[in-house]
Amino acid sequence: MAKKLQVQEDVSPNLIPMIDIMFLLLLFFMLGADMGQRELEEVMLPKALAVKEDKEVKGQKSDRLTVNIYHRYEKEVPCQAFANHEVCRDDKHWRVGIKGKDYTDSDKLLAMLKKEADGFRTDPKNPKFSERGLMIRADASAPYGLVQRLVNTCAKAGIYKVECGAARPPDKDLADTKKG
Amino acid sequence: MAGSQNIGESSDNPVAINVTAMVDVIFCLCIFFMCSFHFKQLEGKIDTWLPKDRGIFQGAINNDLVKDEVRVIMRWTPPAKDSQKNGREAGGTVRKVAQNNPVGSDEELVRDILQIADGYNRVGNTSWPLVIDATAEVPWQDVVHVMDLCKRNKIERIEFAAPSVPIQ
Repeated sequence: MAKKLQVQEDVSPNLIPMIDIMFLLLLFFMLGADMGQRELEEVMLPKALAVKEDKEVKGQKSDRLTVNIYHRYEKEVPCQAFANHEVCRDDKHWRVGIKGKDYTDSDKLLAMLKKEADGFRTDPKNPKFSERGLMIRADASAPYGLVQRLVNTCAKAGIYKVECGAARPPDKDLADTKKG
Repeated sequence: MAGSQNIGESSDNPVAINVTAMVDVIFCLCIFFMCSFHFKQLEGKIDTWLPKDRGIFQGAINNDLVKDEVRVIMRWTPPAKDSQKNGREAGGTVRKVAQNNPVGSDEELVRDILQIADGYNRVGNTSWPLVIDATAEVPWQDVVHVMDLCKRNKIERIEFAAPSVPIQ
């Protein structure tokens, strides 16, 4: 009887191109991730066309404080209005955050702002006023009352240089606006 | 047989490295970064100031202040419950400039602002501020929209009405 010839072929896929692509993907996501920005909470900023590019000199001590006004997470407080991108007027749903800490309590916020402002009271004629800048990053769905409260607290602390965070609409929207 | 083998096959490399573990780790890392990744929106800023010596005057405006500022007053009107029945217009932000009548569009608002601004400029007062005086219910987006309109019309000095702090 003739023996059947059995050929065992070693099928091993070449993994090298896949590893290369995986490395590239990994590099892209690693570089794109912004891990270090604990100062900025996730906020849907109001849209504005006339926004100035926010350039902060790296390595220099910033003289600006960023205050985030953001809605509490959906899991914590389900909010129909916020989910529909409408204005949520329930004060309990909103938080004021600075450097990752909660400062919703007005007294706590005032104490913090005063402490921050004290190091920048450079004008001996007007010791009430501080040169400390402040950036308000408030959600577009927030009522102005929250910003107003913050602004009032700033006034009490002597901070008067205020910047408002806004997002530039995508180029497509920009073109539509210009046509209109 | 050596002649029947392709370039890059395992026989070329006598010390084979098992890359499976590395691929697994890269996969895990990739999944982690993909899940945590979000596209950053282009953020910018609009410069504003708090007035040192002007307070909040919703409605009744101090006549002395009207002489050297442009005050945009914004208030929120809630939607009427029976708006669908009687055809009344839905709620929204009512805007007016100083003691003028409420405006209906952005163009009218800018026209009113520039009209008052022209009056100041004609008498040589070019350092007038535009003060935004809004009620608590007004959406922040609407306030930023007014600021945006002003910046687009080269009005640089925008201030928020804040409690009056007298200058020492």
